[in-house]
Amino acid sequence: MVKKFNAKAKNYEKTICAMIAIAVFLCVWQIVVSFTKAGMVLAGPIETLKMFFVSIVKPVGTHTIEGHIVWSLSRVLVGFVIGSFAGIVLGILMGWFKPVSALFRPIFEILRPIPPIAWIPLSIVWFGLGEASKYFLIMYSAFCAVTMNAYSGVRSVDPELMGAAKMLGANNRQVFTTIVLPSCVPQIFAGLQIAVGTSWATVVAAEMVRSQEGVGWVIIKGQDSNSTVQILVGIVAIGIVGYILAVSMRAIEARLCRWSVRGK
Amino acid sequence: MKKKKDYIWILSILSIVIFAGIWWFCCDVLKLTNSSTLPGPATVVNTFIKKLSSSAPDGATLPAHIFSSLKISLGGWALGVIIGTPLGIFMAWYKKVDLFVRPIFDLLRPIPGLAWIPLMIILFGIGITPKIATVFLSAFVPCVLNSYTGIRQTKDVHLWVGQTFGADDTQMLVHIAIPTALPMIMTGVRVALGAAWTCIVAAEMLASTKGLGYMIQQARGIYRPDIIICGMIAIGAIGAVFSGILSLIENAIVKGVRRDG
Repeated sequence: MVKKFNAKAKNYEKTICAMIAIAVFLCVWQIVVSFTKAGMVLAGPIETLKMFFVSIVKPVGTHTIEGHIVWSLSRVLVGFVIGSFAGIVLGILMGWFKPVSALFRPIFEILRPIPPIAWIPLSIVWFGLGEASKYFLIMYSAFCAVTMNAYSGVRSVDPELMGAAKMLGANNRQVFTTIVLPSCVPQIFAGLQIAVGTSWATVVAAEMVRSQEGVGWVIIKGQDSNSTVQILVGIVAIGIVGYILAVSMRAIEARLCRWSVRGK
Repeated sequence: MKKKKDYIWILSILSIVIFAGIWWFCCDVLKLTNSSTLPGPATVVNTFIKKLSSSAPDGATLPAHIFSSLKISLGGWALGVIIGTPLGIFMAWYKKVDLFVRPIFDLLRPIPGLAWIPLMIILFGIGITPKIATVFLSAFVPCVLNSYTGIRQTKDVHLWVGQTFGADDTQMLVHIAIPTALPMIMTGVRVALGAAWTCIVAAEMLASTKGLGYMIQQARGIYRPDIIICGMIAIGAIGAVFSGILSLIENAIVKGVRRDG
Protein backbone atom coordinates (compact mmCIF):
# COMPACT_ATOMS: atom_id res chain seq x y z
CA MET A 1 0.00 0.00 0.00
CA VAL A 2 1.45 3.33 -0.95
CA LYS A 3 2.21 5.35 2.11
CA LYS A 4 -0.04 8.35 1.82
CA PHE A 5 2.36 10.73 3.36
CA ASN A 6 0.52 13.93 3.12
CA ALA A 7 -2.96 12.57 3.59
CA LYS A 8 -4.53 14.63 6.30
CA ALA A 9 -6.27 12.69 9.02
CA LYS A 10 -9.92 13.44 8.94
CA ASN A 11 -10.74 16.36 11.14
CA TYR A 12 -12.91 14.52 13.61
CA GLU A 13 -10.26 11.84 13.94
CA LYS A 14 -7.74 14.50 14.80
CA THR A 15 -9.98 16.17 17.37
CA ILE A 16 -10.95 12.90 19.05
CA CYS A 17 -7.36 11.77 19.37
CA ALA A 18 -6.40 15.20 20.65
CA MET A 19 -9.08 15.03 23.31
CA ILE A 20 -8.04 11.52 24.32
CA ALA A 21 -4.39 12.53 24.48
CA ILE A 22 -5.11 15.56 26.63
CA ALA A 23 -7.43 13.58 28.88
CA VAL A 24 -4.76 10.93 29.37
CA PHE A 25 -2.20 13.63 30.12
CA LEU A 26 -4.45 15.18 32.76
CA CYS A 27 -5.24 11.81 34.31
CA VAL A 28 -1.59 10.85 34.53
CA TRP A 29 -0.88 14.23 36.11
CA GLN A 30 -3.65 13.76 38.64
CA ILE A 31 -2.49 10.22 39.43
CA VAL A 32 1.09 11.38 39.95
CA VAL A 33 -0.14 14.06 42.30
CA SER A 34 -2.47 11.85 44.30
CA PHE A 35 -0.39 8.75 44.63
CA THR A 36 3.29 9.58 44.57
CA LYS A 37 5.70 11.57 46.65
CA ALA A 38 5.76 14.32 44.05
CA GLY A 39 2.17 15.00 45.02
CA MET A 40 3.36 16.52 48.25
CA VAL A 41 4.75 19.46 46.35
CA LEU A 42 3.04 19.32 43.00
CA ALA A 43 -0.55 20.44 42.51
CA GLY A 44 -2.97 18.51 40.38
CA PRO A 45 -4.89 19.69 37.33
CA ILE A 46 -8.17 20.08 39.17
CA GLU A 47 -6.60 22.20 41.87
CA THR A 48 -4.79 24.28 39.29
CA LEU A 49 -7.89 24.90 37.22
CA LYS A 50 -9.87 25.81 40.31
CA MET A 51 -7.19 28.26 41.41
CA PHE A 52 -7.02 29.68 37.90
CA PHE A 53 -10.70 30.51 37.86
CA VAL A 54 -10.55 31.81 41.40
CA SER A 55 -7.76 34.22 40.47
CA ILE A 56 -9.97 35.68 37.79
CA VAL A 57 -11.89 37.33 40.57
CA LYS A 58 -9.61 37.17 43.56
CA PRO A 59 -6.36 39.10 43.15
CA VAL A 60 -3.00 37.36 43.24
CA GLY A 61 -0.80 39.93 44.87
CA THR A 62 -1.95 43.25 43.52
CA HIS A 63 -4.00 42.22 40.51
CA THR A 64 -6.28 39.46 39.35
CA ILE A 65 -4.82 37.04 36.88
CA GLU A 66 -6.20 38.93 33.91
CA GLY A 67 -4.78 42.10 35.42
CA HIS A 68 -1.36 40.48 35.35
CA ILE A 69 -1.93 39.27 31.81
CA VAL A 70 -2.89 42.79 30.77
CA TRP A 71 0.27 44.16 32.36
CA SER A 72 2.49 41.69 30.57
CA LEU A 73 0.65 42.11 27.28
CA SER A 74 0.85 45.88 27.45
CA ARG A 75 4.60 45.70 27.88
CA VAL A 76 4.88 43.32 24.98
CA LEU A 77 2.64 45.36 22.71
CA VAL A 78 4.39 48.66 23.32
CA GLY A 79 7.85 47.19 22.90
CA PHE A 80 6.89 44.94 20.03
CA VAL A 81 5.19 47.64 17.97
CA ILE A 82 7.98 50.16 18.39
CA GLY A 83 10.76 47.62 18.04
CA SER A 84 9.39 45.90 14.97
CA PHE A 85 8.52 49.18 13.28
CA ALA A 86 12.08 50.43 13.81
CA GLY A 87 13.42 47.06 12.72
CA ILE A 88 11.38 46.97 9.53
CA VAL A 89 12.40 50.48 8.60
CA LEU A 90 16.07 49.89 9.28
CA GLY A 91 16.05 46.48 7.63
CA ILE A 92 14.46 47.79 4.46
CA LEU A 93 16.82 50.74 4.34
CA MET A 94 19.75 48.43 4.90
CA GLY A 95 18.58 46.19 2.11
CA TRP A 96 17.99 48.94 -0.37
CA PHE A 97 20.89 51.30 0.26
CA LYS A 98 24.27 49.65 0.36
CA PRO A 99 25.98 52.34 2.47
CA VAL A 100 23.36 51.97 5.19
CA SER A 101 23.97 48.26 5.28
CA ALA A 102 27.73 48.72 5.35
CA LEU A 103 27.33 51.15 8.21
CA PHE A 104 25.02 49.14 10.44
CA ARG A 105 25.69 45.54 9.61
CA PRO A 106 28.97 45.17 11.53
CA ILE A 107 27.42 46.52 14.72
CA PHE A 108 24.53 44.19 14.18
CA GLU A 109 26.70 41.14 13.72
CA ILE A 110 28.56 41.96 16.91
CA LEU A 111 25.40 42.44 18.95
CA ARG A 112 23.47 39.56 17.43
CA PRO A 113 24.91 36.62 19.39
CA ILE A 114 24.05 38.29 22.68
CA PRO A 115 20.56 37.07 23.64
CA PRO A 116 18.12 39.81 24.70
CA ILE A 117 17.86 38.20 28.12
CA ALA A 118 21.52 38.94 28.75
CA TRP A 119 20.63 42.62 28.49
CA ILE A 120 18.33 42.45 31.52
CA PRO A 121 20.90 43.45 34.17
CA LEU A 122 22.33 46.24 32.02
CA SER A 123 18.92 47.59 31.17
CA ILE A 124 17.99 47.65 34.85
CA VAL A 125 21.20 49.53 35.64
CA TRP A 126 20.42 52.04 32.91
CA PHE A 127 16.68 52.42 33.20
CA GLY A 128 15.89 51.44 36.74
CA LEU A 129 13.40 48.92 37.98
CA GLY A 130 10.33 50.34 36.29
CA GLU A 131 8.60 49.98 32.99
CA ALA A 132 11.30 51.70 30.91
CA SER A 133 13.74 48.84 31.29
CA LYS A 134 11.14 46.30 30.22
CA TYR A 135 10.08 48.37 27.23
CA PHE A 136 13.72 48.65 26.23
CA LEU A 137 14.24 44.88 26.45
CA ILE A 138 11.19 44.03 24.40
CA MET A 139 11.95 46.71 21.82
CA TYR A 140 15.43 45.28 21.54
CA SER A 141 14.23 41.67 21.08
CA ALA A 142 11.63 42.61 18.50
CA PHE A 143 14.07 44.89 16.70
CA CYS A 144 16.76 42.21 16.39
CA ALA A 145 14.36 39.54 15.22
CA VAL A 146 12.76 41.72 12.56
CA THR A 147 15.67 43.68 11.11
CA MET A 148 17.61 40.82 9.59
CA ASN A 149 14.44 39.36 8.12
CA ALA A 150 13.45 42.66 6.55
CA TYR A 151 16.99 43.01 5.24
CA SER A 152 17.03 39.59 3.61
CA GLY A 153 13.50 40.13 2.38
CA VAL A 154 14.61 43.15 0.41
CA ARG A 155 17.81 41.49 -0.77
CA SER A 156 15.99 38.44 -2.07
CA VAL A 157 13.61 40.27 -4.38
CA ASP A 158 13.75 38.65 -7.76
CA PRO A 159 16.12 40.78 -9.85
CA GLU A 160 14.23 39.79 -12.96
CA LEU A 161 11.13 41.50 -11.65
CA MET A 162 13.07 44.65 -10.95
CA GLY A 163 14.68 44.51 -14.34
CA ALA A 164 11.33 44.06 -16.03
CA ALA A 165 9.90 47.05 -14.20
CA LYS A 166 12.84 49.22 -15.16
CA MET A 167 12.43 48.20 -18.77
CA LEU A 168 8.85 49.32 -18.60
CA GLY A 169 10.07 52.72 -17.49
CA ALA A 170 9.82 52.65 -13.74
CA ASN A 171 12.28 54.80 -11.87
CA ASN A 172 14.02 53.64 -8.71
CA ARG A 173 11.36 54.93 -6.35
CA GLN A 174 8.58 53.20 -8.27
CA VAL A 175 10.49 49.94 -8.33
CA PHE A 176 10.89 50.26 -4.60
CA THR A 177 7.27 50.93 -3.76
CA THR A 178 5.58 48.63 -6.24
CA ILE A 179 7.88 45.63 -6.29
CA VAL A 180 10.35 45.54 -3.45
CA LEU A 181 8.04 46.53 -0.62
CA PRO A 182 5.21 44.08 -1.40
CA SER A 183 7.52 41.19 -2.10
CA CYS A 184 9.36 41.41 1.17
CA VAL A 185 6.17 41.32 3.22
CA PRO A 186 6.13 37.50 3.69
CA GLN A 187 9.70 37.53 4.90
CA ILE A 188 8.93 40.40 7.25
CA PHE A 189 6.00 38.47 8.64
CA ALA A 190 8.21 35.49 9.29
CA GLY A 191 10.42 37.83 11.30
CA LEU A 192 7.39 39.27 13.10
CA GLN A 193 6.28 35.82 14.17
CA ILE A 194 9.67 35.05 15.62
CA ALA A 195 9.67 38.48 17.23
CA VAL A 196 6.33 37.85 18.93
CA GLY A 197 7.59 34.59 20.39
CA THR A 198 10.87 36.09 21.51
CA SER A 199 9.19 39.19 22.95
CA TRP A 200 6.77 37.09 24.98
CA ALA A 201 9.61 34.96 26.33
CA THR A 202 11.66 38.07 27.09
CA VAL A 203 8.85 39.80 28.97
CA VAL A 204 8.30 36.68 31.08
CA ALA A 205 12.02 36.52 31.83
CA ALA A 206 12.24 40.23 32.65
CA GLU A 207 9.27 39.95 34.97
CA MET A 208 10.74 36.92 36.67
CA VAL A 209 13.95 38.78 37.33
CA ARG A 210 12.54 42.01 38.62
CA SER A 211 9.02 43.30 38.63
CA GLN A 212 5.96 43.97 40.71
CA GLU A 213 3.28 42.56 38.49
CA GLY A 214 2.79 40.51 35.39
CA VAL A 215 2.60 36.79 34.69
CA GLY A 216 6.32 36.28 35.26
CA TRP A 217 5.94 37.85 38.67
CA VAL A 218 3.07 35.47 39.47
CA ILE A 219 5.32 32.50 38.88
CA ILE A 220 8.22 33.83 40.92
CA LYS A 221 5.89 34.77 43.79
CA GLY A 222 4.55 31.27 43.68
CA GLN A 223 8.04 29.92 44.02
CA ASP A 224 8.79 32.24 46.91
CA SER A 225 5.70 31.15 48.81
CA ASN A 226 6.25 27.52 47.83
CA SER A 227 2.86 27.40 46.19
CA THR A 228 3.00 25.15 43.14
CA VAL A 229 -0.61 25.98 42.43
CA GLN A 230 0.28 29.58 41.83
CA ILE A 231 3.22 28.61 39.66
CA LEU A 232 1.03 26.35 37.59
CA VAL A 233 -1.65 29.00 37.26
CA GLY A 234 1.02 31.36 35.99
CA ILE A 235 2.32 28.76 33.55
CA VAL A 236 -1.19 28.16 32.25
CA ALA A 237 -1.72 31.88 31.77
CA ILE A 238 1.62 32.24 29.99
CA GLY A 239 0.87 29.30 27.75
CA ILE A 240 -2.59 30.52 26.82
CA VAL A 241 -1.46 34.03 25.99
CA GLY A 242 1.58 32.77 24.11
CA TYR A 243 -0.64 30.51 22.08
CA ILE A 244 -3.12 33.29 21.30
CA LEU A 245 -0.31 35.60 20.24
CA ALA A 246 1.16 33.01 17.90
CA VAL A 247 -2.18 32.11 16.39
CA SER A 248 -3.16 35.77 15.90
CA MET A 249 0.12 36.50 14.19
CA ARG A 250 -0.41 33.58 11.85
CA ALA A 251 -3.99 34.68 11.11
CA ILE A 252 -2.88 38.23 10.31
CA GLU A 253 -0.17 36.89 8.05
CA ALA A 254 -2.58 34.58 6.26
CA ARG A 255 -4.83 37.53 5.62
CA LEU A 256 -2.21 39.98 4.43
CA CYS A 257 -0.11 37.49 2.51
CA ARG A 258 -2.90 35.61 0.84
CA TRP A 259 -1.15 35.85 -2.45
CA SER A 260 2.00 34.19 -1.20
CA VAL A 261 1.91 30.50 -0.49
CA ARG A 262 4.62 29.91 2.04
CA GLY A 263 4.52 26.19 1.92
CA LYS A 264 2.33 25.89 5.00
CA MET B 1 33.77 49.63 -10.16
CA LYS B 2 36.64 48.56 -7.91
CA LYS B 3 36.64 51.93 -6.23
CA LYS B 4 33.00 51.53 -5.24
CA LYS B 5 33.63 48.17 -3.56
CA ASP B 6 36.58 49.47 -1.58
CA TYR B 7 34.52 52.39 -0.43
CA ILE B 8 31.87 50.12 1.03
CA TRP B 9 34.36 47.99 2.93
CA ILE B 10 35.97 51.02 4.44
CA LEU B 11 32.56 52.23 5.59
CA SER B 12 32.05 49.03 7.57
CA ILE B 13 35.37 49.18 9.32
CA LEU B 14 34.89 52.89 9.84
CA SER B 15 31.56 52.34 11.52
CA ILE B 16 33.01 49.93 14.08
CA VAL B 17 35.95 52.21 14.71
CA ILE B 18 33.70 55.26 15.07
CA PHE B 19 31.35 53.44 17.39
CA ALA B 20 34.16 52.17 19.59
CA GLY B 21 35.84 55.55 19.38
CA ILE B 22 32.76 57.44 20.48
CA TRP B 23 32.26 55.00 23.33
CA TRP B 24 35.87 55.35 24.47
CA PHE B 25 35.84 59.07 24.05
CA CYS B 26 32.66 59.67 25.98
CA CYS B 27 33.37 57.32 28.80
CA ASP B 28 37.07 57.02 29.38
CA VAL B 29 38.24 60.43 28.26
CA LEU B 30 35.44 62.88 28.90
CA LYS B 31 33.91 60.78 31.65
CA LEU B 32 30.47 61.85 30.52
CA THR B 33 28.94 58.97 32.39
CA ASN B 34 30.24 57.69 35.65
CA SER B 35 31.57 54.20 35.60
CA SER B 36 28.66 52.79 37.50
CA THR B 37 26.36 53.52 34.62
CA LEU B 38 28.39 53.03 31.50
CA PRO B 39 32.04 52.14 31.68
CA GLY B 40 34.34 52.86 28.78
CA PRO B 41 35.93 50.14 26.68
CA ALA B 42 39.28 50.50 28.43
CA THR B 43 37.64 49.81 31.78
CA VAL B 44 35.81 46.83 30.34
CA VAL B 45 38.96 45.31 28.88
CA ASN B 46 40.73 45.91 32.18
CA THR B 47 38.01 44.18 34.14
CA PHE B 48 37.93 41.34 31.65
CA ILE B 49 41.61 40.62 32.13
CA LYS B 50 41.31 40.90 35.88
CA LYS B 51 38.31 38.61 36.04
CA LEU B 52 40.16 35.91 34.20
CA SER B 53 41.99 35.15 37.38
CA SER B 54 40.25 36.91 40.24
CA SER B 55 37.34 35.54 42.21
CA ALA B 56 36.13 38.88 43.45
CA PRO B 57 33.49 40.12 43.78
CA ASP B 58 31.12 37.26 43.15
CA GLY B 59 32.99 34.19 44.22
CA ALA B 60 34.43 32.67 41.08
CA THR B 61 36.73 33.51 38.21
CA LEU B 62 35.41 34.15 34.72
CA PRO B 63 36.58 30.77 33.37
CA ALA B 64 34.88 29.04 36.30
CA HIS B 65 31.61 30.79 35.50
CA ILE B 66 31.94 29.96 31.83
CA PHE B 67 32.64 26.33 32.61
CA SER B 68 29.65 26.08 34.90
CA SER B 69 27.30 27.55 32.30
CA LEU B 70 28.76 25.44 29.53
CA LYS B 71 28.40 22.24 31.51
CA ILE B 72 24.73 22.68 32.18
CA SER B 73 23.73 24.12 28.85
CA LEU B 74 25.53 21.48 26.82
CA GLY B 75 24.16 18.72 29.04
CA GLY B 76 20.58 19.90 28.74
CA TRP B 77 21.00 20.54 25.03
CA ALA B 78 22.39 17.06 24.38
CA LEU B 79 19.45 15.54 26.24
CA GLY B 80 17.06 17.65 24.23
CA VAL B 81 18.60 16.59 20.93
CA ILE B 82 18.76 12.91 21.87
CA ILE B 83 15.15 12.79 22.98
CA GLY B 84 13.64 15.45 20.75
CA THR B 85 14.98 14.49 17.34
CA PRO B 86 13.80 10.86 17.39
CA LEU B 87 10.48 11.99 18.82
CA GLY B 88 10.02 14.44 15.97
CA ILE B 89 10.95 11.78 13.46
CA PHE B 90 8.49 9.28 14.87
CA MET B 91 5.76 11.88 15.09
CA ALA B 92 6.21 12.72 11.45
CA TRP B 93 6.51 9.15 10.21
CA TYR B 94 3.88 7.29 12.19
CA LYS B 95 0.53 8.93 11.97
CA LYS B 96 -0.74 7.30 15.14
CA VAL B 97 2.08 8.81 17.16
CA ASP B 98 1.37 12.18 15.62
CA LEU B 99 -2.31 12.09 16.44
CA PHE B 100 -1.69 11.47 20.12
CA VAL B 101 1.53 13.26 20.89
CA ARG B 102 1.03 16.40 18.86
CA PRO B 103 -1.82 17.92 20.92
CA ILE B 104 0.18 17.64 24.12
CA PHE B 105 3.21 19.09 22.39
CA ASP B 106 1.18 21.99 21.04
CA LEU B 107 -0.12 22.63 24.55
CA LEU B 108 3.36 22.87 26.00
CA ARG B 109 4.98 24.66 23.11
CA PRO B 110 3.93 28.29 23.75
CA ILE B 111 5.36 28.21 27.25
CA PRO B 112 8.82 29.76 27.21
CA GLY B 113 11.43 27.42 28.66
CA LEU B 114 12.32 29.85 31.40
CA ALA B 115 8.82 29.78 32.87
CA TRP B 116 9.42 26.20 33.99
CA ILE B 117 12.24 27.12 36.34
CA PRO B 118 10.24 27.79 39.51
CA LEU B 119 8.34 24.56 39.08
CA MET B 120 11.53 22.61 38.51
CA ILE B 121 13.12 24.18 41.55
CA ILE B 122 10.23 23.15 43.76
CA LEU B 123 10.28 19.66 42.33
CA PHE B 124 14.02 19.08 42.28
CA GLY B 125 15.44 21.53 44.76
CA ILE B 126 18.28 23.92 44.13
CA GLY B 127 21.14 22.42 42.23
CA ILE B 128 21.93 21.26 38.75
CA THR B 129 18.85 19.15 38.10
CA PRO B 130 16.22 21.90 37.74
CA LYS B 131 18.49 23.84 35.43
CA ILE B 132 19.24 20.86 33.23
CA ALA B 133 15.54 20.03 33.14
CA THR B 134 14.66 23.56 32.02
CA VAL B 135 17.44 23.74 29.44
CA PHE B 136 16.28 20.35 28.20
CA LEU B 137 12.76 21.70 27.70
CA SER B 138 14.07 24.73 25.82
CA ALA B 139 16.24 22.67 23.51
CA PHE B 140 13.66 19.93 23.09
CA VAL B 141 11.01 22.02 21.30
CA PRO B 142 13.08 23.24 18.33
CA CYS B 143 14.52 19.74 17.82
CA VAL B 144 11.10 18.15 17.64
CA LEU B 145 9.66 20.86 15.42
CA ASN B 146 12.52 20.83 12.95
CA SER B 147 12.86 17.07 12.65
CA TYR B 148 9.10 16.86 12.22
CA THR B 149 9.14 19.42 9.42
CA GLY B 150 12.20 17.81 7.89
CA ILE B 151 10.63 14.39 7.64
CA ARG B 152 7.37 15.83 6.33
CA GLN B 153 9.33 17.36 3.48
CA THR B 154 10.21 13.98 2.07
CA LYS B 155 9.03 13.83 -1.48
CA ASP B 156 6.42 11.22 -2.27
CA VAL B 157 8.25 10.42 -5.48
CA HIS B 158 11.31 9.33 -3.55
CA LEU B 159 9.21 7.11 -1.35
CA TRP B 160 7.55 5.55 -4.34
CA VAL B 161 10.92 4.83 -5.88
CA GLY B 162 11.91 3.11 -2.67
CA GLN B 163 8.78 1.04 -2.68
CA THR B 164 9.29 0.08 -6.29
CA PHE B 165 12.64 -1.31 -5.28
CA GLY B 166 11.04 -3.32 -2.52
CA ALA B 167 11.89 -1.25 0.54
CA ASP B 168 9.74 -1.79 3.58
CA ASP B 169 8.55 0.92 5.95
CA THR B 170 11.62 1.01 8.17
CA GLN B 171 14.01 1.00 5.27
CA MET B 172 12.17 3.90 3.70
CA LEU B 173 12.42 5.78 6.95
CA VAL B 174 16.10 5.15 7.42
CA HIS B 175 17.32 5.44 3.86
CA ILE B 176 15.01 8.02 2.36
CA ALA B 177 13.20 10.12 4.92
CA ILE B 178 15.94 10.71 7.43
CA PRO B 179 18.63 11.74 4.94
CA THR B 180 16.13 14.13 3.35
CA ALA B 181 15.38 15.58 6.74
CA LEU B 182 18.99 15.89 7.82
CA PRO B 183 19.48 19.57 6.83
CA MET B 184 16.40 20.60 8.77
CA ILE B 185 17.37 18.43 11.70
CA MET B 186 20.75 20.14 11.81
CA THR B 187 19.04 23.53 11.72
CA GLY B 188 16.89 22.40 14.62
CA VAL B 189 19.97 21.28 16.51
CA ARG B 190 21.54 24.67 15.93
CA VAL B 191 18.44 26.59 17.01
CA ALA B 192 18.21 24.33 20.05
CA LEU B 193 21.75 25.17 21.07
CA GLY B 194 20.98 28.87 20.85
CA ALA B 195 17.83 28.38 22.86
CA ALA B 196 19.65 26.27 25.45
CA TRP B 197 22.37 28.88 25.83
CA THR B 198 19.85 31.70 26.27
CA CYS B 199 17.90 29.60 28.73
CA ILE B 200 20.86 28.79 30.93
CA VAL B 201 21.85 32.45 31.13
CA ALA B 202 18.34 33.37 32.21
CA ALA B 203 18.07 30.44 34.60
CA GLU B 204 21.31 31.42 36.26
CA MET B 205 19.99 34.92 36.82
CA LEU B 206 17.22 33.42 38.89
CA ALA B 207 18.56 30.43 40.68
CA SER B 208 22.23 29.81 40.78
CA THR B 209 25.46 30.49 42.56
CA LYS B 210 27.74 30.17 39.58
CA GLY B 211 27.65 30.80 35.90
CA LEU B 212 27.59 33.75 33.53
CA GLY B 213 23.97 34.66 34.21
CA TYR B 214 24.65 34.66 37.93
CA MET B 215 27.74 36.78 37.38
CA ILE B 216 25.96 39.52 35.51
CA GLN B 217 23.03 39.50 37.90
CA GLN B 218 25.33 39.89 40.89
CA ALA B 219 27.25 42.61 39.12
CA ARG B 220 24.02 44.53 38.73
CA GLY B 221 23.37 44.38 42.43
CA ILE B 222 26.73 45.93 43.25
CA TYR B 223 26.61 48.43 40.41
CA ARG B 224 29.50 47.06 38.37
CA PRO B 225 28.31 47.40 34.76
CA ASP B 226 31.84 46.69 33.59
CA ILE B 227 31.47 43.12 34.84
CA ILE B 228 28.04 43.00 33.22
CA ILE B 229 29.48 44.01 29.88
CA CYS B 230 32.31 41.47 30.21
CA GLY B 231 29.72 38.85 30.92
CA MET B 232 27.62 39.89 27.94
CA ILE B 233 30.64 39.77 25.68
CA ALA B 234 31.50 36.29 26.97
CA ILE B 235 27.91 35.17 26.44
CA GLY B 236 27.84 36.53 22.92
CA ALA B 237 31.25 35.14 22.02
CA ILE B 238 30.42 31.64 23.21
CA GLY B 239 27.08 31.74 21.43
CA ALA B 240 28.85 32.74 18.21
CA VAL B 241 31.44 30.00 18.65
CA PHE B 242 28.71 27.40 19.14
CA SER B 243 26.99 28.59 16.00
CA GLY B 244 30.22 28.50 14.03
CA ILE B 245 31.17 25.00 15.15
CA LEU B 246 27.76 23.64 14.30
CA SER B 247 27.86 25.32 10.91
CA LEU B 248 31.19 23.68 10.19
CA ILE B 249 29.86 20.28 11.18
CA GLU B 250 26.75 20.87 9.14
CA ASN B 251 28.67 21.81 6.02
CA ALA B 252 30.95 18.82 6.41
CA ILE B 253 28.42 16.11 7.13
CA VAL B 254 25.11 17.08 5.68
CA LYS B 255 24.46 16.95 1.98
CA GLY B 256 22.02 19.34 0.48
CA VAL B 257 22.46 22.20 2.89
CA ARG B 258 21.78 25.55 1.29
CA ARG B 259 25.11 27.25 1.63
CA ASP B 260 23.88 30.74 1.01
CA GLY B 261 24.39 31.77 4.60
